[in-house]
Amino acid sequence: MMKKTIAILLALVMVLGMAVACAQPATEAPKTEEPKAADAPKAEEPKKEEAPKATEEPKATEEPMAPWDGAYMDRDDYKAYVKNDLDVVVAAIEDQLEDATYAAVKAAREDADKAIDEAATLAEVRAAYEAGFKAIAEAIPLADGLYTYKKDSNAERTNVLGILERFAVTTGITGISLFENGGYVMYNPRVTLGTENYIVGYGFGILAEGAITADLEYETNEAWKRYYHISESEDPGTLNYYNDQGSQVGDLFGYQAASFYTNFMNETKDGYDWVPELAKEKPVAVNDEDGDGMATTWRFEVRTGAADGLKYVTGSELESRKAFNDREVALEDYLTPFKMLLTQANALYRGSEQANTKSGAIKGAKEYYQGTAEGPNDELWANVGLKAYEEDGKNYFEVTFTEEQTQFYCMYYISSSLYMPLPQDFIDLVTVQNIFGYNTDKTETPVDNALSLGAYYLERYDQDQQIVYKKNPNYVYADTKYAIEGIHDKIFTASREDTSAVLNEFLAGHFDASGIPQEYLNEYRNDPRTRSTTGNSNFKLNVNATNAETWEYLFGEEGVVTQTPKDSYWEIKPALGNHHFVQALSYSIDRLTFANARGSIPSVDYLASNYMSDPENGLSYAVTAAHKKAVETLLEDTDGYGYSLELARDYFRMALTELEADGAYTPGTKDAPTVIHIEIAWMYPTHEENYHNEIKNLLETAFNDESVCGGVYQLSVDFWVGNAWSDVYYNKMMVGQFDIGFGSISGNSLDPIGFVSVLSSDQDISGSFTLNWGVDTNDPEVYPIVYKNMRWSFDALYNAVNSKGIVGKGQNKPIATFNYTKIVKNEDGSYTGSMEIVPTLTDITTITPTDVVCCNYERYKLGDGNYDEKSVEFTVENKDGGVVVVTFTVPAELAADYATGSGTSENPSGLTGFDFYYDQVFDGAESSGLYYSVQEDHFEVPAAQ
Amino acid sequence: MGKYVLKRIGLAFLTTFIILSLTFILVKLLPFERPIGGDQQQIAYFDKQLHLGYVNRFEKEMPQYGTLLYKSPTEKGRAYYYYQVPVLEQYANWLKNVVFHWDWGYSKSFQPNVAASVIIMSRIGYSIRLNILSVIVSVPLGILLGIWAALKKNTVTDHTISTLVMIFISIPSFVLISFVLRIFSYRLGWLPSTWPPDTAMTSAKVKGYIIPVFCLSFGSICGYCRFVRAELCEVMESDYLLLARTKGLTRRQAIVRHAMKNAMVPIFPSILAEFIGILGGSMILESLYGIPGIGKLFVLSLNYKDYDILFVDMAIFTTISLLAGVVLDLSYGFIDPRIRMGAKK
Repeated sequence: MMKKTIAILLALVMVLGMAVACAQPATEAPKTEEPKAADAPKAEEPKKEEAPKATEEPKATEEPMAPWDGAYMDRDDYKAYVKNDLDVVVAAIEDQLEDATYAAVKAAREDADKAIDEAATLAEVRAAYEAGFKAIAEAIPLADGLYTYKKDSNAERTNVLGILERFAVTTGITGISLFENGGYVMYNPRVTLGTENYIVGYGFGILAEGAITADLEYETNEAWKRYYHISESEDPGTLNYYNDQGSQVGDLFGYQAASFYTNFMNETKDGYDWVPELAKEKPVAVNDEDGDGMATTWRFEVRTGAADGLKYVTGSELESRKAFNDREVALEDYLTPFKMLLTQANALYRGSEQANTKSGAIKGAKEYYQGTAEGPNDELWANVGLKAYEEDGKNYFEVTFTEEQTQFYCMYYISSSLYMPLPQDFIDLVTVQNIFGYNTDKTETPVDNALSLGAYYLERYDQDQQIVYKKNPNYVYADTKYAIEGIHDKIFTASREDTSAVLNEFLAGHFDASGIPQEYLNEYRNDPRTRSTTGNSNFKLNVNATNAETWEYLFGEEGVVTQTPKDSYWEIKPALGNHHFVQALSYSIDRLTFANARGSIPSVDYLASNYMSDPENGLSYAVTAAHKKAVETLLEDTDGYGYSLELARDYFRMALTELEADGAYTPGTKDAPTVIHIEIAWMYPTHEENYHNEIKNLLETAFNDESVCGGVYQLSVDFWVGNAWSDVYYNKMMVGQFDIGFGSISGNSLDPIGFVSVLSSDQDISGSFTLNWGVDTNDPEVYPIVYKNMRWSFDALYNAVNSKGIVGKGQNKPIATFNYTKIVKNEDGSYTGSMEIVPTLTDITTITPTDVVCCNYERYKLGDGNYDEKSVEFTVENKDGGVVVVTFTVPAELAADYATGSGTSENPSGLTGFDFYYDQVFDGAESSGLYYSVQEDHFEVPAAQ
Repeated sequence: MGKYVLKRIGLAFLTTFIILSLTFILVKLLPFERPIGGDQQQIAYFDKQLHLGYVNRFEKEMPQYGTLLYKSPTEKGRAYYYYQVPVLEQYANWLKNVVFHWDWGYSKSFQPNVAASVIIMSRIGYSIRLNILSVIVSVPLGILLGIWAALKKNTVTDHTISTLVMIFISIPSFVLISFVLRIFSYRLGWLPSTWPPDTAMTSAKVKGYIIPVFCLSFGSICGYCRFVRAELCEVMESDYLLLARTKGLTRRQAIVRHAMKNAMVPIFPSILAEFIGILGGSMILESLYGIPGIGKLFVLSLNYKDYDILFVDMAIFTTISLLAGVVLDLSYGFIDPRIRMGAKK
């Protein structure tokens, strides 16, 4: 019996062996799917004749080649993928190339194909790919000079946005998009919407154009029965938008605030128009000298109490506040909020934001902010580009921006609700600290400390219970808009714990609107009360793709972004630094199913639908050709939402092949696989159940199947959750303490090309909002960004299209670079040092040094940590190429004093630094009082000390 | 006796002090969390911490002070370096502020700028009213049910009451409220589903108390019922009650004059203990029903990491609990003359 069994088994093995041997050529057949190899003209290029031969007789062509050392992927498949990568590069740039450049790129591409075809080993294929990639890039000249495309048309700027977006999605700095936060909202039938079709960037027009046609029975206050009843999940504690960072207070503040311009639905109810609110007309350019419709200074007529009957309203019952009820708006009130915000001593968050903004910056605002740490400064205020004046019996407001703006962007930038006029005596009465909020002992509520010019005014603020607004009879459009009598905003904290709490309240007739939680979607998705909306933010899995070296540079002990103690260093996952690995993760997520189950919109996009390509006409960027081209590689061969299990597994195999070749991982065994562990950081504990479990399942199911890599690797996905929404940003993603982090940043939806700043790795550009790390966005070699036949870094093109780009070898550059040479002691005890100042664009830059200050900032003699500084003598030498060399001398007496005056009496350090002050003329614009600081140098400490 | 009372009160305050001290120190030993926001927010926050004596600021790095908390840019492009003050030193500063200035600090994020003690005082009334009402409802109902069950011992009535008591005593108030809301608010629409605001009509406000008081009381009613039944059953089987019956008293007379009086000795102090329990249990219930009391505030201050409020809230809970414990102990002496507090042997 035993012998029989063995004989049968042996026979089976032999038969199987023969079958496998016969099947061998068939398994290599995919080579025929390489169209370029197959299409190659045989007569012209004899070598290429070998390609079809190889398909027909694989053994014959493989003989001269070394054995393939890619463990998880067939050589030809790997080659096909890397060739495809190069195709993607060329497809992305070809429409920006001139003929000659295109020919060079095409030649480089063909050479790359040839080299890849001839490569035998994995290392050779990778080297051929990299050489080809480099050759393609180098065929395109690098941008060099001063560029600005700010004045270009919307259509052209949209193209640039598409180019930047394509770079971002290809290099992975957008993260892995999951869904857009739009979805389904139910409305009480008593609410008549302004339109049945959701308008992107505007909504349904409920308050401005809608109406309420029946009482809310549940409301016990008769006067409030026709108010629009909604809820907040938490009490904001204040309505002081001037000093708040989140969006909740801004939204609530918006009900009672008016701005210079506002939006109302258009007549056809399919878009919206910009209309003057506190202004009486659209802005008129004051200095459009070249007639191109752009100017730095704009003015417009504004409404006042005396001329137009514009009056403040308050709901306060306090006698001191009642005096402001029906008080007329004075012209100077228009300047008050600007001054309050920009005075640094007031320490208002939005003031800091306004002072430091780059988009729509007001002339002199930053300087005023920097000079008002101790309080308002009239001298500096005179230089701020804001004026309110009367001319020919009309009241005008005039604003000067730091850069030229179109009429539309002037309207846009000046229309913040933060700029609602306020009387100075009201601010003095309620104080800057308490405005729109409670006072310290709670004897005054936000009702007492607020004034309104908006559609509503604050009627009640009952802490942790309700916020109630009443229609403002003095509002500019009170007779024609905002028919709804008021807004009742219930503070409903139960909704934090129970996702269905708001829907339950809605169904019971207590609220007028509610979202639909995941578990009720099937039940209410098609309910007649349900409407679908688009969102304003795309939620993503942001990726930490840094390697150890980059992480150290960004977040290490001396990190440029944040400083992390050694014992808190994050353990970098090399897999995330491999772009194919991140692509694999992206392809493995079934967004359609994931988003549908949650009532949101599946998306691979970085920007949500409300970001406008043409804000004046309400054209969403999401529908433009530029955007479609930018994301086409993410969608190709997928289900239309970036999901393809096949691609996911192939990219995973590619990544493992490359990571092993790089020595980052070694394969395990089936019984003890090598585990690639990844942690996903989420915002709230509820996200574990709501999001994490499904994402974990998708990722692990996709890659842990034995068919993927024979079970020698295992992906393990763990989670981390924060308590507050901000934890995942400030404690994880923004400080590099994460592998993958869930989050989204919303920005200026009318200026998407300005908003992509947050993708930059340069913290000055991103405003410290970078969430995806690992790609240097100022390196033009990372991935070709080509515009107008020139190659750029992301940062360089971003600056060129948003303001002025100073570009050197494709990179974003400062106006000048400073090269410091350390001080050297002279025989007489004095010290000499120098600073070389090298302008980037010598033709249009002039640097004039004005002062050199020697600093001593640990003067123990003056008390611990105190600071002292003195000017020293210096000479200036102008060299070729606009280079300026400043040579300075610190007198012996001063050097001796500083050398013994710092550190401690027992251990003086001689630590010193220098400030180099200079004036600058750049492209005709003069700036004075600028300085560059050198912080670390030392005087020699005398031995006797 | 007076000396004993003073000693107990003194010990209660000492315990409060120790609990608050431990809370402060343990909270401060947690990893330091910077506030959200840019440099301006960080600077504003750290300057306040500096003023309170919780951080040190230097113009150069001082590794000897431990982990660098924050490095803020100055106008000259240099930096201020912030380090945490040693925890015990922070604690001393905190104590100094509380004891000498009665300054418990200010809300950081929950209600910015408002004094923590003011926030507590504006909310404590809601919690007190709710808890007192709950005690008023639960005590008579619980005692009556307990007496009824004891008098009907080993009958269907007794078994029914005991079974229901066992079931309902096992259900936490925050679970119960979900069912009650679903039935009485969402399905029948008889009662409000959330706490009516201060501006609501009186009838709505009265209705607003029904669900939370009912949910808070239910556990207490069951507790009293079980306790009273057990005590009364034990007394009714005692020799002196048998003696009372043999002396010619009716059952009613024996129960009312002797059994009830003795059974109540351990029950009255437990009313105080229940009050403490209700105060703690209302934290979650207040959050779920939207009652703006100090229980909900405790949860919110934890969520917001608004530690100044947390410390005041903790101080109130601790003080109430400990003083209630003192009153509980002292009450034994007043109710049962056989117990002499602090008497020497």
